Amino acid sequence: MSSANLRECAAVDISDQDVVAAMKSMQGYIDITPADFREVYRVAYALAKERMMNALKAADIMSRAVRAIRADDDLIAAASLLAEKGISGAPVIDGQGRIVGVISEKDFLRKMGAEKSGSFMQVIALCLKNKGCLATAMTNRTAADIMTAPAITAAADISVGAIAALLMEKNINRLPIVDGGGRPVGIVTRTDLVNSYCMLG
Amino acid sequence: MNYFEKMKGHTQSPPGVGALEILWSWIGGFLGIAAVGLIHFKLLDQTGLMLIIGSFGASAVLVYGAIRSPLAQPRNLIGGHVLSALIGVAAHQYLGSVPWLASAAAVATAIALMHLTKTLHPPGGATALIAVIGGDAVHRLGYLYVLMPAGLGALVLLTVALLVNNLSPNRRYPEFW
Repeated sequence: MSSANLRECAAVDISDQDVVAAMKSMQGYIDITPADFREVYRVAYALAKERMMNALKAADIMSRAVRAIRADDDLIAAASLLAEKGISGAPVIDGQGRIVGVISEKDFLRKMGAEKSGSFMQVIALCLKNKGCLATAMTNRTAADIMTAPAITAAADISVGAIAALLMEKNINRLPIVDGGGRPVGIVTRTDLVNSYCMLG
Repeated sequence: MNYFEKMKGHTQSPPGVGALEILWSWIGGFLGIAAVGLIHFKLLDQTGLMLIIGSFGASAVLVYGAIRSPLAQPRNLIGGHVLSALIGVAAHQYLGSVPWLASAAAVATAIALMHLTKTLHPPGGATALIAVIGGDAVHRLGYLYVLMPAGLGALVLLTVALLVNNLSPNRRYPEFW
């Protein structure tokens, strides 16, 4: 899945035919070969992309009201909090407030019998086959038992481009932003990332 | 990349231009050289002065036929001819007794100076060369060659280019000064 996504993420390249067609649509003799133009275009495009991707930092796009779950919270409390806040995941913190992991729907689904990818449909299929579901296996467990650890985090000055690359590479949906002491100061989700593209115009 | 591999080329030529573009290029070239030629043959011929030199034919290709080219812009047209003429006359005066050396030094130095001053204009190389190989009529002018024909002739070509190249709704000149 991730390799297919990365392929789609490759930059659009222009061909000699595109350049020749553009040159034809302009009047007059253009004193440059299509290959030279493409070279100029590629370098200029890469520079523009870099400028845009570095223009916004995590601090500009992150949600600052972070709902953290304590590592020793039981899973009833954790699931209730996620449900109440309408979010699908949250960072998990220890007694000192430092991030030790991330807990999300995927972690719950895995515990309910989903494969490694943690799809809801896998759980449904399992429930139908077994004539019942096994959420009860999670009672008396804490957030620390099922969370994904160690947490992948970043500092507030990480650029939007680097965040996108990190989410793709690690195949995760949210990136907690931490201060120097490892305490959460915000969180960037894929949704925040999509919104940031509006800000780039 | 292999040395011989490079000689095969790697891209295609830019597309050809439309009939209207060809027509405007012809009109510009005709009027530009006509202006320089008329002044030269009708006013100056008997005086020993001159306004037309071979390199203006090459300039006409650029400033009427490839008007978007950086090589065809006013600073290149005027700067290229004037600086190259200066180099050419100096080369003749100091190295004229060895014509092959004066010729080579004139052209090579003109290219370098045009590059340095961002006034690269290919016909400038011819202007520098003509200062050496142009015969007695050119040699008699001395450094006047820089102002006339080189400077003034280029100015006439520029004036015609400004007037003619902007008549067509699809053309504009210059790109920059």
